[in-house]
Amino acid sequence: MSELAIAAILAAAILAASTISVEIGISVALLELGLGVVVGNAFDLSVPDWLAFVGSFAGIVLTFLAGAEVDLPQFRREWRASLSIGAVSFAAPFFACMAFAYWALGWTGDASQIAGIALSTTSLAVVYAVLVETGLNQTIIGKRIMSATFVTDFGTAAALSILFIKPNLWILAFVAVSAVLILGLPRLSPWFFARYGNRVIEPEIKLVFAALFLLIWLGDKANSHAVLPAFVLGLALSNHYAAHRQEQERLRVVAFAFLTPFFFFKGGMNVSVSALWANLGVLALLFGAKMVPKLTGVYPLARRYCAPHAGFTTLLMSTGLTFGTISSLYGLQAGIIDETQFSLLIAVVVLSAIVPTVIAQRFLQPSAAEEARRDERARIGEPLLQREGH
Amino acid sequence: MPFERILAAIDGSEASGHAFAKALELAALTGASLTALAVEGPLPAYAATVGEVEEVRREKDAFFQRLLDQTRAQAEAAGVPLDVQLRPGHAAELIVRIARETDADLIVLGHKGHFLRDHLLGSTADRVAEHADCPVMIVK
Repeated sequence: MSELAIAAILAAAILAASTISVEIGISVALLELGLGVVVGNAFDLSVPDWLAFVGSFAGIVLTFLAGAEVDLPQFRREWRASLSIGAVSFAAPFFACMAFAYWALGWTGDASQIAGIALSTTSLAVVYAVLVETGLNQTIIGKRIMSATFVTDFGTAAALSILFIKPNLWILAFVAVSAVLILGLPRLSPWFFARYGNRVIEPEIKLVFAALFLLIWLGDKANSHAVLPAFVLGLALSNHYAAHRQEQERLRVVAFAFLTPFFFFKGGMNVSVSALWANLGVLALLFGAKMVPKLTGVYPLARRYCAPHAGFTTLLMSTGLTFGTISSLYGLQAGIIDETQFSLLIAVVVLSAIVPTVIAQRFLQPSAAEEARRDERARIGEPLLQREGH
Repeated sequence: MPFERILAAIDGSEASGHAFAKALELAALTGASLTALAVEGPLPAYAATVGEVEEVRREKDAFFQRLLDQTRAQAEAAGVPLDVQLRPGHAAELIVRIARETDADLIVLGHKGHFLRDHLLGSTADRVAEHADCPVMIVK
């Protein structure tokens, strides 16, 4: 099939994903991933080079957006609780899944590391939607969960950038340019955006894209990955975007309209349904390898910092989607994992977006009004035992 | 008195506009208290970016702000005191629950007639009529 034919099929499928998303209320990303699986398997399509390229860039843009969406002032207020929950939420499944893939499934060391990274993630977006919908994002427990998610995501981004590094001299340029961009762009942006912003030609978006392409190129030359600097660059600009919502909105429009659909379609098209079908047992085991350490690692800390909603907190910290997909795609593209391993990882990532969320919402969702009252009582200094109703 | 507490469900559709107008008429005629309930539907489930959720949320907030302002203005013009509630959740489930909580003796809601969804899943009006404890008026 010609590349133009593939582009036309993808464009139609991307349009279908958007309209279905609006009609049924499921995120467009999940539908793009799902339709990617359908298109890839039904038409037996392989991912063309242009899609691989656009998809890779979109992955970095998604990482940048994830950093830019972090509420830093909130994180500073809640860092103690968030750091411990977030760190364990990353480390427990990372080591457990890596060990499981290596010893139980016989994957190579590098492939096991990809499994560990992809299955260690927590999805800020999934968590955020649940918390906003219930009003819990305004409560202390909601803020702690969101801040902890940031810590887990940071762990994932750092692991992906550091573990597969094969350093050469380019690493110096990569680190230096990353530092200059991370420190310099937040200082440059007020002047640049004031001088060139608010135009349909969007120089401020082009500035961000230029910075990200530079990081991708240097990361590639240095045998590393631009995920970590892109995430931190987004983080460095998060305060700027918080103060200039319209700029963030326009960046999202460009990303969601053109870039991220290709990222998720690329992910979906690489999934082999037959490989999944042949490995359903392994899929279940990998899902368990992610969930068990997440649940057992996070729950004791959640009991300490998010009582009496430890179960709800633990389940939300067990969700995953974007970073899991980014990590798995990196592994596939770098030749670290094969198509079957990739398919298994993506399936577990998608399951982890859905299963813990449904259970948390259905059975363990706290009342936002009750939590707000609890926060108010805590603020005015009512004793803890009384607060907990003992 | 035939009705003392009327609950009208509103969602900004044409049918819901007709239903609210009927509820206003009934409240004015009977002197019943009137509550307008707007149900904010769910945000995109299993989102990949905070941006997707935030943008949908902003659109919804702006939409419901306009709807509630418009509803209040209509009630004020009709001289009917109005209690307005905006709740997130599942429409049919919430309408039935709020009707119970507010002891409503009549629910008024519109019927949009979404061909495919109604046949596959049943309409909100059907489900409210089936589960409500009080009479339900469905306005087309």
